[in-house]
Amino acid sequence: MAIVETKELTKVYGRGDAAVTALRKVDLRVEPGEFVAVMGPSGCGKSTLLHLVGGLDRPTSGRVALNGQDLSELSDDALTRLRRREIGFVFQFYNLIPVLKAAENVALPLVLDGVSPRKAQSQAQLWLERVGLSDRTDHRPDELSGGQQQRVAIARALASEPALILADEPTGNLDSRAGDEIATLLRRVVDEWKRTVLMVTHDPRIAAYADRIIFLKDGTVVDEARLVGGNDGAEKLVRQRMEDL
Amino acid sequence: MSVRCALLGLLAQRPRHGYELHAAFEALVGGAENWDVSPAQVYSTLARLKEAGLVREEGLEQEGGPEKVIHAITPAGRRELEAWFSTPVRAEHQRDEFFVKLMLCLATGEVDPMTVIYAQRASLYQELHAVTTQRARADPRSELAHILLLDQAAMHLEADLRWLDMVEARLDEVRRQPLPEPQPRPRGRPRRAR
Amino acid sequence: MSYYIRLALRYLWGRKLRTILTTLAIAFGTMLIFGMNGLVPAVEAAYRQQLMQAASQVDLTITGETRSSFPETALEVVRGTPGVAHASGSLVRPVVVPPADAPLLPDGSRLGTIVLSGIDPETAPQVRRFEVVSGRLLQPGDRNVLVVSESLARKASLEPGDRLRLPSATGVATFEIVGVIAGEPGAVSDEVYTPLPVAQALLNQPGRINTIEALVVPGSDARAVREAALARLGSGFKLGENQVGSELQAAVEMGEVAFNLFGVLTLAMGGFIIFNTFRTVVVERRRDIGMLRAVGASRRAVIGLILTESLLQGVVGTAAGLCGGYFLALGMGAIVGPIWSQALRLSLGGPVFKPATYVLAIGLGIGVTLVAGLWPAVSAGRVTPLEALRPAEGEASWKPARRRAAFGLALVVVAVLGLASGNLNLASLGAVLFLAGLVLVGPVLVRPIAGVFGRLLELVLAQEGRIAEGNLARQPGRAAITASAMTIGLAILVALGGMTTSLESGLFRYIDQSLGADYLLMPHSMVLGGGNVGAGPELAEAVRSVPGIAEVTTVRLAMGRIGDTDVQTIGIDPESYPRVAGLEFSAGEPEEAFAALAEGRALIANGIFSAQSRLQVGEELTLQTPEGPKTYRVAGIGMDFLNAKLATVYVSQENLARDLHETSDILLMADRAADADPAEVRAQLERIVAQYPAFSLLSGDEMREEYKQMYGMAMRLLHLLMVTLAIPSLIALMNTLGINVLERTREIGVLRAVGSTRRQVQRMIVGESLLLSALGTAFGLLGGLWLGYVLVGALNATGFKMSYFFPYSGIVLAVAVGLVFGVIAALLPARRAARLDLLAALRYE
Ligand SMILES: Nc1ncnc2c1ncn2[C@@H]1O[C@H](COP(=O)(O)OP(=O)(O)OP(=O)(O)O)[C@@H](O)[C@H]1O
Ligand SMILES: [Mg+2]
Repeated sequence: MAIVETKELTKVYGRGDAAVTALRKVDLRVEPGEFVAVMGPSGCGKSTLLHLVGGLDRPTSGRVALNGQDLSELSDDALTRLRRREIGFVFQFYNLIPVLKAAENVALPLVLDGVSPRKAQSQAQLWLERVGLSDRTDHRPDELSGGQQQRVAIARALASEPALILADEPTGNLDSRAGDEIATLLRRVVDEWKRTVLMVTHDPRIAAYADRIIFLKDGTVVDEARLVGGNDGAEKLVRQRMEDL
Repeated sequence: MSVRCALLGLLAQRPRHGYELHAAFEALVGGAENWDVSPAQVYSTLARLKEAGLVREEGLEQEGGPEKVIHAITPAGRRELEAWFSTPVRAEHQRDEFFVKLMLCLATGEVDPMTVIYAQRASLYQELHAVTTQRARADPRSELAHILLLDQAAMHLEADLRWLDMVEARLDEVRRQPLPEPQPRPRGRPRRAR
Repeated sequence: MSYYIRLALRYLWGRKLRTILTTLAIAFGTMLIFGMNGLVPAVEAAYRQQLMQAASQVDLTITGETRSSFPETALEVVRGTPGVAHASGSLVRPVVVPPADAPLLPDGSRLGTIVLSGIDPETAPQVRRFEVVSGRLLQPGDRNVLVVSESLARKASLEPGDRLRLPSATGVATFEIVGVIAGEPGAVSDEVYTPLPVAQALLNQPGRINTIEALVVPGSDARAVREAALARLGSGFKLGENQVGSELQAAVEMGEVAFNLFGVLTLAMGGFIIFNTFRTVVVERRRDIGMLRAVGASRRAVIGLILTESLLQGVVGTAAGLCGGYFLALGMGAIVGPIWSQALRLSLGGPVFKPATYVLAIGLGIGVTLVAGLWPAVSAGRVTPLEALRPAEGEASWKPARRRAAFGLALVVVAVLGLASGNLNLASLGAVLFLAGLVLVGPVLVRPIAGVFGRLLELVLAQEGRIAEGNLARQPGRAAITASAMTIGLAILVALGGMTTSLESGLFRYIDQSLGADYLLMPHSMVLGGGNVGAGPELAEAVRSVPGIAEVTTVRLAMGRIGDTDVQTIGIDPESYPRVAGLEFSAGEPEEAFAALAEGRALIANGIFSAQSRLQVGEELTLQTPEGPKTYRVAGIGMDFLNAKLATVYVSQENLARDLHETSDILLMADRAADADPAEVRAQLERIVAQYPAFSLLSGDEMREEYKQMYGMAMRLLHLLMVTLAIPSLIALMNTLGINVLERTREIGVLRAVGSTRRQVQRMIVGESLLLSALGTAFGLLGGLWLGYVLVGALNATGFKMSYFFPYSGIVLAVAVGLVFGVIAALLPARRAARLDLLAALRYE
């Protein structure tokens, strides 16, 4: 079963003359263990798609199913529960709670889910270690660099062991080096920890980390590129460059 | 190879004679400084295309001057052209060949230019994916030179992709503008003199 | 849950200053309510302690229905009732010990009012148990001797052999203490006992008693005996004890209403501050809240978080407020106490905090915090997870809602009705509603008013002024909320200012009117007649015979009852009274009225009483007297200063003596002849007064001085409270300005980036703050003036006649406070804005 499946997903903002159709009958399938990037020009509806898939907003028509569960059938509370158990969010601006330490931020979804504070804390510790921040657990967000904050955010997204990670321009605020680190981390999320990642990005270099790129334009999916592993192409390329030198 | 397909494309637009073909090609790539193809090269390529059955002679033009042979594309030629359109161009050739391809695609109306762009983009992404994968595997402590090289490749690919996005975004405007056509030559034989 | 508390604490800690200020606002409100309500019972207790008789364990107590005295013959009637075993009559009255002779108390003050019981030494022990602690009991044939209660003896260090001087109708009498008796369980009053005839002479009530106590024959039905005794006595008697303090109760209740009005307004203010702060908090944290929602916090959890925060502040603030309130009550007691003991001869004990006071203060402190936090919390719950992803422009919720304005208008209308109702409680509720309505209507008025003030500001701040004005006009709702904090604060200030000014000048006019005599011989506790021992006719005669005295008039006092109302019945001489003093008439012709008094059973009712009973001139009233019901005609409505607060009627002294058997003078007023030497007359009068320690001599001028001082003190206290009320509005203003800056971080960043200097940004913020406070001040002035006017009207409707005085100085003060606050409140946010890291501001999204 697809982990994410949308059927004729449509979102219209506003009404009357001011109506903006942000998404137009989008059909999308994401399989478990996939790393999918969504690209497209500004305003094409990428974020809107992500919000609908994450149950942050409700579609105008069409439906979203996560693991076969139709989101439109869920109440606000049920959606909230789903968000904290099944989905991890990573945002462009990290969105950490400024008054909480790194480890407390990571533990937040667990605490919200009723996990005992001690257990939540040790879980948070574990994930901070995994994202390479074991030495920063007691720092406040404003004591961390952007890249580090984003890694905390990823740890937070992973802490409740959700199957799906949704990331909206996770590298949008970072330089290319830090961006690469985050993308590599997301790659590990898929390869090592067997999660599914749906990521919106503007950066081709970051999108290239994905297994599949979905191109959105004016609210519709216009193209899709499947990127196969295999490094022979790259090898050849490098060899050729060497020769050019 | 690409000159061959470019000529095919120009002929698909409309039948032309050899001299006109050369001028059109030059206008397409923006002048001899960009891509210098000699008239002889055009004629020899035409000959090879005729041999392959992709082009045929369609008649003579006699308009006050010396006679000129008019060349036209054959159905086989059209098929060949379509195949060319649908294959992406390798990154290192992209700058010239992809551009020609896109322009011809617009000129001939044979194929939706978007498919050309999408095919090219998918291919570039595949290459970039390969490069980043490779790069991720390289050990920065011992293979730094390799990594830097991969970075260079990645950045070129990135630049190509960004350029592609730009082309896509402005395609409609390009479509509305006339294709570059050869200018009447100031030099050469003045027609009026006859 | 502990996680929420931790999170809430962290948030609070993160904004220390604001947290402290908000908590202070809560503490402040609680402090006022707690302190005031702690003081009121202290005042009441002071009365009770001094004046209430101890509850006795006798089977039967009979008093006069009007609480006046009756002939001793009634005692025989009771004795003759079947089933009555023993009966004893007594004359019980509170008296004020002349200060010069009063024993010192441990706290440095002097003994004030005590309860004097004239008892029959033979029969009293039959009905009551007197337990001798030292010395002896009263014996038949005793003359000027006293037995004092143990509590009084301990308090005033009295023991057998000591002497105590008490006022009497003929001056002063010296008593020797012969014994100390144990008080009855639970009795706290300072009682002294003397033989009945002595008391009757002392109080100028020969042959009269006012209390009969009896025991029934064991085994008989006490209730049936009571009924039988009452039936035999006929009308004019009732069961139970004299409620000596009830007229004082009325005064205290009056004060309580005023306190409560003040407390309610303060509370409204506090609630508004909390509301404002948490509204700020929610806007500030929109992104955080959205994020919480995105990672799985339910709506309820978010609401819970905000409420936890407000609750934390509520608990801390309330606790601080309780402590503050305790000290406030102590401090107030320390300030008010001396005034009281001077004016009323009552010593004020420490504040009394009843469980109900705790419940009230804690309930209100925490309750108001929760209620005020609720709306912001619910709106926080409505923040969607998407807000976390959106640029934090916070523009969402401040649209000027026409519907809200209409609702506000409706509130104002309702408030006007409440204010016009003439009921002081409804009026104070109306005042709160009025302010709330004003806050709601505000947004609609912001734009035009901002335009006017903006033009003024442009003169001072030029370019920045225009930007500031634009900022306000763009977000009228937000501007209005900020300004409304100011509005409420200032409206309360101005309204109270108007009220106190009116009260003050009204009082002074009364003083001039009714105590306009050149000389006054008055008891130490003038305001309340109950505890004074009057003088016999000799005093008036003595004064009249002083060369240089042109005119003397006296005032007598008894208690009567008309319908269900206990009324002070004041006896005046209809001829001389208008010449020396006078009444302020609100209905009826003064001359006709006084003439009517002289002619027959007619009375002049005071404002309070006529308002309570809706009297008309010409109406006939039935006055219950020991002689049975007597019909009096209302000849006019008018009042004097001293009796403005209590239901009072004025009758002729002739009628007073006939119907209520009161002939002693409690107040003498005299005018000097035009050609007399003031110093000489005064010396003469002083010599006379020296023999009557219950009286002191005052000249009209001194008198006015004395009252001015007394009220000046009270007013100063009120003003102090008013100023402290202004502090919370400063907090509110600062809060809103703070968030204003926060919401516009980006805008300020852009301004800085395109070349605004730090100074210019600062000026812009200060300009905006000034505009806001000008707005608030304008609203506050208008609202406050009107409110004050209406409240004075409401007071008038309750019978206390005074006209509205325009509080010029209050207005000047309010404008000054408004502008100063505008600048002060802007300083912090302005500094913040100017210090803003340019790049961070631009990145802030
Ligand atoms: N809350 C909203 N109200 C009205 N219109 C909206 C709202 N949110 C998005 N839109 C519109 O919907 C369209 C899609 O917006 P969306 O945020 O999904 O774009 P995006 O692809 O994420 O763009 P970007 O790359 O700039 O983030 C845009 O035209 C936007 O103006
Ligand atoms: Mg977006």
